[in-house]
Amino acid sequence: MIAHPVARTRTYVLVWLALICLLVVTLASAYVPLGSLNSAINLAIAVAKALLVAFFFMHLRSAHYMLRIAATAGFFWLAILIGLSLTDFAVRY
Amino acid sequence: MASVVIVDRQFDDAEQQRTASDLGMWVFLATEILFFGVLFAAYTATRLHDPQAFAIASRLTNITLGSVNTAVLLTSSLMMALAVRATKLGLRRAALGFLCATAVLGIVFLAIKFTEYYLDYAGHLVPVLDFAHPGPHAGAVENFFYLYFFMTGLHSVHMIAGIGVVSVLAVMTARRRFTPDYFTPVELGGLYWHLVDIVWIFLYPLLYLVSRT
Repeated sequence: MIAHPVARTRTYVLVWLALICLLVVTLASAYVPLGSLNSAINLAIAVAKALLVAFFFMHLRSAHYMLRIAATAGFFWLAILIGLSLTDFAVRY
Repeated sequence: MASVVIVDRQFDDAEQQRTASDLGMWVFLATEILFFGVLFAAYTATRLHDPQAFAIASRLTNITLGSVNTAVLLTSSLMMALAVRATKLGLRRAALGFLCATAVLGIVFLAIKFTEYYLDYAGHLVPVLDFAHPGPHAGAVENFFYLYFFMTGLHSVHMIAGIGVVSVLAVMTARRRFTPDYFTPVELGGLYWHLVDIVWIFLYPLLYLVSRT
């Protein structure tokens, strides 16, 4: 039998607690008038939540490097898609 | 209990076979990221065109139902992660319970989402059907709602697929199809569920929180 290292239940519950806390923070921050900083905070929190899910729930933290490359590639190409589109739209208006 | 893992001949061992399955799933997930990605790119371009209209439009979305739904989905991901963990440890009953909890929370999410769609319809926010918005930004506000329905709609379709997958995994678990040596379908189903969760994690601030002040 092959041993499969699994994280403790506690770890998963703590990650979930962190996710819920971030949800409350992002919701509360939206009601504080900060101008364009509001969107920046919301996006930063969304990225933090996504990373928590990817690293702990999707096990990227302990994954084979090939899996990490494949995961990164998806977001890398997305960055190209949005980044190159912005070279037009960001300067048009 | 000595269980035998069948390894296809192109692989050296079960571990390599499992990594290959995971890699295939991650490549599929990368295509999913880009599938949703074009909508996020369209959103970015449309929002830059009239940021004020997006601020007005996002205030018309239902913040209470949207936030509750985010919490429901995050909790469903916890259940899914615990289901994968229990399967790896051979805790069949626990795994079955967590899988059922995941599916039920997914159904709760959809029920709330469709309630929200109904309220949007009652508020004349559905483009094409009977969209009505006063003021100079009406056209751009309608564009926001085209994106809102397309993005959340595509996400809901993925949720329906995910609930189907999790239900099948629950039946397979009940039929003792998984062992601590063979759990690939549960692992891959979990990856899919979490990715759909990540998509919502980005949809939530972009649709509901643009401007609340």
